[in-house]
Amino acid sequence: MPPRRMNDDYMGGGSDSDVSMLDEDEHTSRGKAKGKGKAVEGRKGDKGKSKAKEQPYAWEASYTRSWDTVQEDEAGSIQTAVQDLIARGRRRRLLAPGEAVRRTIIRHLILVLDLSASMMDRDMRPTRFDLMLQYAREFIAEWFDQNPLGQIGMVGMRGGIGERIGEMSGNPQDVLRSISERHKLEPAGEPSLQNAIEMARSSMSHLPTNSSREITIIFGSLTTCDPGNIHDTLDECVKDKIRISMVALAAEMKICRELCVKTGGQFGVALNEGHFKDLLFELIPPPAQRAVARANGPGAANPAADLMMMGFPTRLPVTSHPSLCVCHGELKTEGFLCPRCLAKVCDVPTDCDICGLMIVSSPHLARSYHHLFPVKPYQPIATLDGTPNPSPTCHACSVPFQEKASQPNAPLADGVSPLGRYRCPDCKNDFCTECDVFIHDVLHCCPGCGK
Amino acid sequence: MDKASHLGVVLDLSPKQWHLAAQPSNPHPVTLSVFLSHLLAFLNAHIACKDENSLALFGALPGRSAMLYSSTMPVNEEEIEPADANSYRPFKVMDSAIMKHIAEEIEALGEAETEEPIGFVGALTKAMCYINRVTNGAGSTSSAARNDDPAGLADPRILVISVSPDQSSSYIPVMNSIFSAQKLKVTIDVCKIFGGESVFLQQAAHLTGGSYIDIDRPDAVLQYLMMSFLPPPGLRQLMSVPTQDKIDFRAACFCHKNIVDIGFVCSVCLSIFCQPVPVCSTCRTKFPIKTLQRLNASRPNAAPGTPARAATPARAATPAAPANSLPRSTSINPHAVPRNASNGSIGAASPPMHMNGGPR
Repeated sequence: MPPRRMNDDYMGGGSDSDVSMLDEDEHTSRGKAKGKGKAVEGRKGDKGKSKAKEQPYAWEASYTRSWDTVQEDEAGSIQTAVQDLIARGRRRRLLAPGEAVRRTIIRHLILVLDLSASMMDRDMRPTRFDLMLQYAREFIAEWFDQNPLGQIGMVGMRGGIGERIGEMSGNPQDVLRSISERHKLEPAGEPSLQNAIEMARSSMSHLPTNSSREITIIFGSLTTCDPGNIHDTLDECVKDKIRISMVALAAEMKICRELCVKTGGQFGVALNEGHFKDLLFELIPPPAQRAVARANGPGAANPAADLMMMGFPTRLPVTSHPSLCVCHGELKTEGFLCPRCLAKVCDVPTDCDICGLMIVSSPHLARSYHHLFPVKPYQPIATLDGTPNPSPTCHACSVPFQEKASQPNAPLADGVSPLGRYRCPDCKNDFCTECDVFIHDVLHCCPGCGK
Repeated sequence: MDKASHLGVVLDLSPKQWHLAAQPSNPHPVTLSVFLSHLLAFLNAHIACKDENSLALFGALPGRSAMLYSSTMPVNEEEIEPADANSYRPFKVMDSAIMKHIAEEIEALGEAETEEPIGFVGALTKAMCYINRVTNGAGSTSSAARNDDPAGLADPRILVISVSPDQSSSYIPVMNSIFSAQKLKVTIDVCKIFGGESVFLQQAAHLTGGSYIDIDRPDAVLQYLMMSFLPPPGLRQLMSVPTQDKIDFRAACFCHKNIVDIGFVCSVCLSIFCQPVPVCSTCRTKFPIKTLQRLNASRPNAAPGTPARAATPARAATPAAPANSLPRSTSINPHAVPRNASNGSIGAASPPMHMNGGPR
């Protein structure tokens, strides 16, 4: 059965994102059905069972058998079908957010790492612990990329206590340095969720109300060894509006899910290495803010919102004349000039030591603007009948469009255009699949309308 | 030597600015045709450096943007002038294709279009899309490109040749393009020939590790191009390419598109305003009246005698805005004269806005 084999290749050899496409379905069903199998076994078993057309497990019911949907084209090749599947998976991500939602931009996050003995399990390669460290580093780098005004602190769970690994900091280098020495983090003993959460909570207690407070826990154990009642801690977190999100590496525990659900966070159990990364990276984009102000009626001001005065500095080059900085009193050539009092500070973002003005570099702010002004989703074009003069090439990259539809009579499903054309609703230019994804995922700016 | 590099060139073809640049009253006038001959020599040099080097040229025209040339573009044999004993044929093909497309685009400009703002953002974003297609994009879908050595396509960069001043309305799209360039590890070089300092392009070059060069002698531009922009970014550390002196991190405000150095920022969405506003225009957040009063009172160089406990924010803003902007800006940035004028006029226009949101 050639299509079947080809599809297995596609799944096995595909990138993480291809796998995740299928796993997401499986994962959402997991919320209701609590069958936890090891990821790889789960999928193998799934394939074996599907032949017999019986479904002994509830979680198999919603598992889409992607190989059934693959159709050969006229030439007997499934190349087009596979490409179609890939395009569909990429588009799916784009379909969700079209409108501007209110997101939290100044974020404070405590990343809690499980450093208990169970992290030495080898069910994820090389060990859960090494994988966690590696993904935590990538997570931090990407997190600061998307949340340039945010801060991260690190807490470890080891030997029944919470350990502060890294102080809250807005500098990615500082945070990465705190977990760079592997031997200092060697897993041992039991984890304690309560101790770690209490420690994280206390280190965020001083923060202003207009910033978000979050705890992200990577949890590899099936037990927690707490000094008191963890439900009290949970209630305190709800009261303090701390969001707890958790990625479990072993299995779902009632208390873990409860922690996440009650505080408005996300909970997920990693099936395999790729899925672990996907779950963790889902926590990177700024979360949509819950509408607090609406409850007080439309006239009431949101107490969390405020107007802040900020200054955008001028950066001095290395070649300028050395002068004393106001923050350390050291003789330096490089630095930033406060726009109000012209004092020289070493680094931004900071508060000017002389006049107290908050100095930020404007690119820091601008990094989050694409959340405010998202590009409108492009319309997939099914036929060219309505267009008098269709452009022969993609408006952005000038690659010629395909002449005929890949699957001529396929219905317009999942927002995938059979012609590979996507049209901007504003400037009416056509773009190819490649550019459509790039524009919405990375560029956040339509080349046709220049917005 | 090393890997092949891709060069995307964004060429500003604003007829008005080129006309101004060619005025004999300038210390060093340069016409578009002289400049293009320099540019073609530079592009030929880029192609000659390595066989696999690729090129894409995008033109920013008033109100729109177009691709003028790319290495992958199909060559129309009939249009090429007969071979010339003095020139290498591939260069000849490329030069005539570029010149033909530029002539076509400029011919196509109508009288009304020449006044429209330049389509610089479009050209820059197209250059980014093209690089995305050449480097990562092509590898993931089409099987033909997968066979190519991915390492051979690395090291992309963009050279922006600018003659127009900044348009503050394009602040957000330009910044978005800069961040995507950072993500794709694209270096943006800026060659400013005419039209004053560009705050946004300075930031673009700084953030992507490129160089921003404001050319003193536009009539000798080939020298600058060859010495500073020909070596790929990998070689830049070895050759001392000129660096920027001051980098201006100012931003454009959302309300009037002024370029500001001290702004008022909404804590929810980080929108920048040039004066305290009662309601954020982006996310519709209402700000506490106390903050408005405090900020109005503490505005930089607030006019003496402005009561701190002003009855309404409007009262405080009216005298403060036109009076304060002038001395402050001049002290920081003496050459930023246009900013003062616009700030002043905005300040005068502001009271109605405040009245609407006033505490009544």
